[in-house]
Formats: sequence, structure tokens, C-alpha cells
Amino acid sequence: MSFAHLHAEGYIGLLRSMPNVEVIGFSDLDPTRGMKIAQQYSSHWYPSHETLLEQDLDAVIVCTENATRREAVEMAARAGCHILCEKPISVTLEDALAMRDAVTSSGVNFMTAFPMRFDPSLQILRERIQAGDLGRVYGMNGINHSEIPKAHRAWFADRELAGGGAVMDHTVHLTDLYRWIFDTEILEVYAEVSNPFYPDVDVDTAGIITLKLENGMFAGIDCSWSRPTTYPRWGHLKLEVVGERGSLEIDAFAQHLTVTSSKPVIRNPNWHGWGSDPNKAMLTEFFASITEAREPSVTWKDGFEALRVALTCYESAGIGQPVRLENL
Amino acid sequence: MRVGIVGTGSMGSVHAQAWLQAGVELSGVISGHLEHAQTFAQKHEIQAFSRLEEMLEVVDVLDICAPTHLHRDMTEAAAKAGKHVICEKPIALTLKDSKAMIEVCSSQNVRLFIAQVVRFFPQYRAAQEILASGQLGNLGVLRLKRAGYQPSLNWFLDETKSGGMVMDLMIHDFDYALWIGGKVSRVYATSARASNPTSSGDYALVTLGFESGAMAQIEGGWCYPKGTFRTSLDIAGSQGLIEWHSDNSSTIKSFLEPQNSGVGAVGIPSSVLTEDPYTTQIKHFKHAITTNTPFDVTPEDALAALEIALAARESLKSGRAVHLGSSR
Repeated sequence: MSFAHLHAEGYIGLLRSMPNVEVIGFSDLDPTRGMKIAQQYSSHWYPSHETLLEQDLDAVIVCTENATRREAVEMAARAGCHILCEKPISVTLEDALAMRDAVTSSGVNFMTAFPMRFDPSLQILRERIQAGDLGRVYGMNGINHSEIPKAHRAWFADRELAGGGAVMDHTVHLTDLYRWIFDTEILEVYAEVSNPFYPDVDVDTAGIITLKLENGMFAGIDCSWSRPTTYPRWGHLKLEVVGERGSLEIDAFAQHLTVTSSKPVIRNPNWHGWGSDPNKAMLTEFFASITEAREPSVTWKDGFEALRVALTCYESAGIGQPVRLENL
Repeated sequence: MRVGIVGTGSMGSVHAQAWLQAGVELSGVISGHLEHAQTFAQKHEIQAFSRLEEMLEVVDVLDICAPTHLHRDMTEAAAKAGKHVICEKPIALTLKDSKAMIEVCSSQNVRLFIAQVVRFFPQYRAAQEILASGQLGNLGVLRLKRAGYQPSLNWFLDETKSGGMVMDLMIHDFDYALWIGGKVSRVYATSARASNPTSSGDYALVTLGFESGAMAQIEGGWCYPKGTFRTSLDIAGSQGLIEWHSDNSSTIKSFLEPQNSGVGAVGIPSSVLTEDPYTTQIKHFKHAITTNTPFDVTPEDALAALEIALAARESLKSGRAVHLGSSR
């Protein structure tokens, strides 16, 4: 449902490579984009979600703008489709709760798209930490930097459609990883949030966040759109976990070739990734949860908790003090 | 110029080497342990003193490489004897002591230099110059990291003598952050020790909000295995970016059969350079004294860095953000 989110372009190729998956087509309310994508990927474009959902589908992937996910999820749930939903799952808690109600009453699966849980290095990190390799963990610090995504999709920097900027876009991945690695919840949020990079957009472009976790640890997140658009790659995801026996560090996209060209290309050099695509493993889990009629390993609640943290960052920055999450 | 050194630990030895490189002959040394002073004196072919007053009679400059809680008394003794002072960082443990040091040097008409040595590290200086030149646009997000192993000397671990890791180690990056980011309005900190006082090592994240709207995350730790010391900087501006990491700038690497190698009591960052930054710093001090020109780092700069460190410690204690220069 929709190619508003650029991840849709990655998903369509992966879906076609998977056995027992048939790609029926895609909906997009933007006819220009719909026709272009239809041609580019030789796929069938449906000009409305309704016409797509009439095609007797088993599942959908919701790749609309952040603010329009609720509507898409409610329609898909009513049509009895299992749902993989891009993150953040919505822009308000109210919308997120309505989505939960819709999928619960229809009895369909809802999986939040957190692909980094399926990254092999992060899975090893989680195993080693849970096995006690670091001893007692002191804390961790993560970076999810990128360039401003508006060159690919303008709505990412549109307050109405995205619900915010860098904080909305990038806080959720690391928040989810911290919750997942330690099987814990977030207790408190402190954030500096501002727009130092692009005065022409009306959303935040920088955020430095500190989380306190229920297990007594603390964790940093830099979610800033602080890489120039000429950077060798879109950005990166890095994470260091520090404990009494030293540290373990992740550079999730370190598997790349450095390509330098004398042709006029935007990224020069260009870091060309060659590592495993965690999105493929994520899609495999989504379909497995359907065929095995069980809950997916990443749930609505995971998407909801990450969204809560992102929203609380704005609240903390507004008052200049840490904010405790309500015990729901 | 005749120089007497107080302290025979890691910094005392590093400074002694730097004075030699700067073409200055040391005149004497004093230590809390007479036998340490005698060994040091023998090695450098200088005189060991048992009383500071005696040494002050034969020198022009007192170089204080002693634990932080002793800085004030020693500075006052030197100033009252009419001697210039070069003193290790942090300037002192409290604002009161720091101001007393500045006042006594001013009233006795002697110079006071606080060895905030990071400003003399070529990569940090070059980064400051690039930012100041305007080619990065305005500062947006600054990231600084400095993490090593816990010193094996007891006074470092005694907060009443060193101020602990946040004050002793992170002061370097607080000073650097102020140098390139200007005035700070908010400080928020979390640390392993604050979360758990029995923590064997320490690790901290400190967030700064600058008056300009820019922000910084400063990471510090006595958390790595013996011998590991890692530093990095990442300066993101509205029109450009500087990245540097000590992991990736070794000009010589060795891959040898492991053998028992000695590890210093205190971790010190190292780069292979024709002139080490400690020597650059000592030469700068010597030049400013002999030509009666200003220091690149003033005692007021050192005091401002201490204010940030004290605010970070207050935040660790209260769990709240500290708003500087306001009643918030």
C-alpha cells in the first residue's frame, strides 16, 4: 500500500525473489508516482487502496506516509489482510491505539517493520550480551545518522505527513534495538531537539537523546540528519554496548566497497554495500507468522513503544528536562 | 627559564620529556613520596626536593602535575613566591578554588596556564580551524568521545581528589566543546557510577545544549581493557562534516606474536607525530612567557570547562537537566 515510503522499492524486489509469494500490485494515491513505479517495476498500479484491497490479498505492506498509516491499516484489517507496517507506525498514540483495535478485531497479524532485529551482527550482539560476555552492562550509545531524506521523498520533512523530522524518523530503530537486546522497557527520555541543518524545512533535523531503561541502564541515540547529501552513503547505524568487561561495537553497514569514479556522480566515493539485507529475513518472518498462524516476532506493541519514545523526545525538548514514560 | 615539576606520575614524566624537547632544563622535582622524587631526579639528572618552598627558590616556573585537590595550595605558594604556574587540568575541583587560583596569580603578577592539552592535538586544532573558516556552515551537532581504561592510581578513583572520570577525563572535551560551540545553556548527564555506585568502571554520556541552538553529545569512559584508549570527533555543520576516529588513523600498525608489554598506569591518547602535543603545549607556554603574549587557553577557559563538569555532576546527582545562567 503506497510507494510513499522509499523502502517499498526495496521490498518489491525482495518479494519477487521469495518462493510462495505472489506480488499482485500496489496502490498509490499519487498518479504520477503510481504510473512511474508501475513502469519501473513492471507491476500493477491501483489508484486507490480500495481497488487494491478488492484483489483477494493475503497480506499488505503499508508504506504510506507516517500520518496516513492509520487509515491504510484500518482498511487492510477490514479487508482481512495481514499487515507489515513501516515505522514509526503512526504519528500519534491515538492513531496507534486505533490501529491495534482494528487488527485485533479482524484477527489479522500486525508486524512492525524493524529490520535491524534481523541483522546478523545485531543478533550476535544480543546473544553475546544475554550470555554475559560483557559482564554487567553500564550503558550503550547508538548513532542512526543520515542525510536529509527529502531528496528521495519530500514528505519526510513535512510536519503534517511525517509528524516530525529526524527524531520521528530515526529514534525508533535504536529504541527498538535497546528494548529487544535487553528485553526491557524505556523508563525516561531526555532530548535536545532542533533544526540546525536546514532552515528551509519546518521539522527538526537534529536530536541527541538519552534514555533510562527499566533495567537500570542508560542509552544514547543520535538521530540527526547530519550527513551531507554528498556523503558516501545515506548514513549509518552504529551501536556500542559498554560493560564491566569492555565493550561490543556494531557498525551495521560496514560491509561495503569504496567506489571512486571520475564520472559526475553524487556520491564520490560511494560506499557500495555488499552485506546481507536484513529486510529479506524480516519479510521471511512476516510470511512465516502467517503460514504458521502465530504472532510475528516484532509486534504492534514494539512499534507503539518506539513511537511513544519518539513523541516523548519532543515533550522533553520542549521543557528542557527528562520526561518519565507513563506506565500503561 | 628554570622549571620545577611537582609530581612524578604519568603527566610528570610526559611534561619532563616535553620540557626537554622545548630546550628547557628542569631544575627540580618534588613528589608526595620522596623516593619517587629521587628516582625521577636521578633519571632526569635534576635535584629532588622535599619541600615545595625550597624548590620555589630555584625556579621561575612551577609545573604542577599533582592530584587536582592540591592545585590550589601549590598555585598559591608559587604565585606568592613570584613564580609562573603551569598546571594540569582540571584547574581545580571547585569554582571557589579555581577563582582563588586565578586571583592570586593576577594579584602577584604571575602567569597561570592550565594544560588543556587537547587544544594542542593537531587533529582537534585543525578541525577547529576548518569550522572557524566557515566551510562547514554553522555548527549543528558535535560528538566527542574519549574512553580508556581505569587508572591504576588510587587518587584518580577518589572523587574528593580527582572529581572522578566525568571531571578528570571528560573535562578535555568539555573545554573543546566550549571552544568550538560557544556558550552552553543546558547540561544533562547519565553515568554508570550514578546508576550504580558499586560499578567497577565508569561510563558516561553528557548532552550539552548550546545557546546557538547547536547540541553536543560527549561520551567518556574508564571502561576499556588495559591498554585501550579511543577518541573520536564528529562535527556536523549546516554545510559540511568532519569525522575523525582514533581507530582509523594509525600510521603504523603491528601484527606481532603477543608478549607481555607494559601498560601505563594512566591511559594517554597517542599519535605518531614529529612533535607530540604535550611538547607543542609546553613550547606554547614557554613562548607566551618569554614574549609576554597571551596564552591560547586562558584560566577563564579552564574555569568554564570546570563549570560544565560541575553541572554534569549535579545532573548525575539530581537526574535533571541543569540550566546554566537561568532560574529554570
